[in-house]
Amino acid sequence: MRDGISVANLGIPAVSLVTEKFWPQGDFVANSIGMPGLPRVQLPHPTGGTGRDNMRHIAERVVPEIVAALRKAS
Amino acid sequence: MTEMLSAADESAGLEKLHAMRCTDGLPVVIPTRARVDRLVLATGQDADMVLGTMGPAGGTATIEKVAVAAVMAGCLPDHMPVVIAAVQAVVDPAFDLTEMQSTTHCTAPLVIVNGPARAACGGISGGFGALGPGHRANASIGRALRLAMINIGGARPGESDMALLGHPGKFTYCLAEDEESSPFAPLHTSLGFTPDDSAVTVIGAEAPHSVLYSPTGDIAGDAKRMTEVLAIGLANMATNNAQLRNGAAVVVLNPEHAEVYRKANMSREAVQKALYDLCYQRPEELKRLAGGFAPKGEDRGPVHSFRSHEDILVLVAGGTGLYSMVMPTWCAGPHANRYVTKKVELDVYCEVVIGGTATA
Repeated sequence: MRDGISVANLGIPAVSLVTEKFWPQGDFVANSIGMPGLPRVQLPHPTGGTGRDNMRHIAERVVPEIVAALRKAS
Repeated sequence: MTEMLSAADESAGLEKLHAMRCTDGLPVVIPTRARVDRLVLATGQDADMVLGTMGPAGGTATIEKVAVAAVMAGCLPDHMPVVIAAVQAVVDPAFDLTEMQSTTHCTAPLVIVNGPARAACGGISGGFGALGPGHRANASIGRALRLAMINIGGARPGESDMALLGHPGKFTYCLAEDEESSPFAPLHTSLGFTPDDSAVTVIGAEAPHSVLYSPTGDIAGDAKRMTEVLAIGLANMATNNAQLRNGAAVVVLNPEHAEVYRKANMSREAVQKALYDLCYQRPEELKRLAGGFAPKGEDRGPVHSFRSHEDILVLVAGGTGLYSMVMPTWCAGPHANRYVTKKVELDVYCEVVIGGTATA
């Protein structure tokens, strides 16, 4: 989340990828910095450590959402 | 000025604070205006003086807000110099408080107190059971820092503090160095302070892990073998120190183990260097067991767990016996889990009278 915020603060459209288990923490961070609408895309949990094939599968599924969020943010 | 809450009585006030998630789960002393004012007065500072920002919520740590946490924790006015210095340590950007509060790792700020403040600030224990129950100053000071991290920093489990289990030191985690039993110069003098200074050193650390060593009377052999055992505890393959590397860690020698090093004529620096040398993993083992944390590229011999011997804090505390403690750490965040030391400014604090008894 904070990486996404840092990139956005540089004027570069950004979207944070947050797993479902950490979504409430994303809400907290977004609200605490006064940016509740910060673009986010939800990933399944866990994503990391589930193997290249599964991560590729997840990536293929969420890419359209990421692109849509970036278009909306830019 | 801090917003005031109201309740019918102290019991109702306590339940309100629990319901608002403003406690650590245990009963707290209700921070009434008078109680908070008394601790603010003890600091000798303006109530609205800003100490820094506490993440992840980004709350502003003023003297008054820290005093609220200290009242809730059960602090006496005497404890305030150490509480304030501990807060100053964790709001130092080098401490990476936001990241530490948010991580899934089990890390808590360990507060190590050196110098005259150990006696002047309520009698902070560095002896038997210093990290256990029964020592008011240790318990209250560490708890005050935690309550500040909850209520100013906004760390709440599963929402903003994502520690998977945490550890009991997240309630309170404070001790003094037993300088009188130590063969080494006081820890803070190794970090740039004079023996007459008081200082707190704060490091995000795991729960203490016990390290058993039974000396045999073989002076050189004992020092060597004990260092080996401590190094295993400090950076075995299960630790972040071994897998993530380049963080810091803590070794708390009990006086009997410290005596082993005294007999071997080993200074703190010599012990640190000996530990540094022994805290490493073989690259093939890291690749086999550390997954994505294994170093990339060609194998080039042992992979050290620490960047420098100075990243291993060595102090003396606890009762005398066969058990010392090691505290591995998280090793992550922008500064890779560094420790921060701040001077305890005893001179600016005020004498506060409680029930007719003057306390300095």
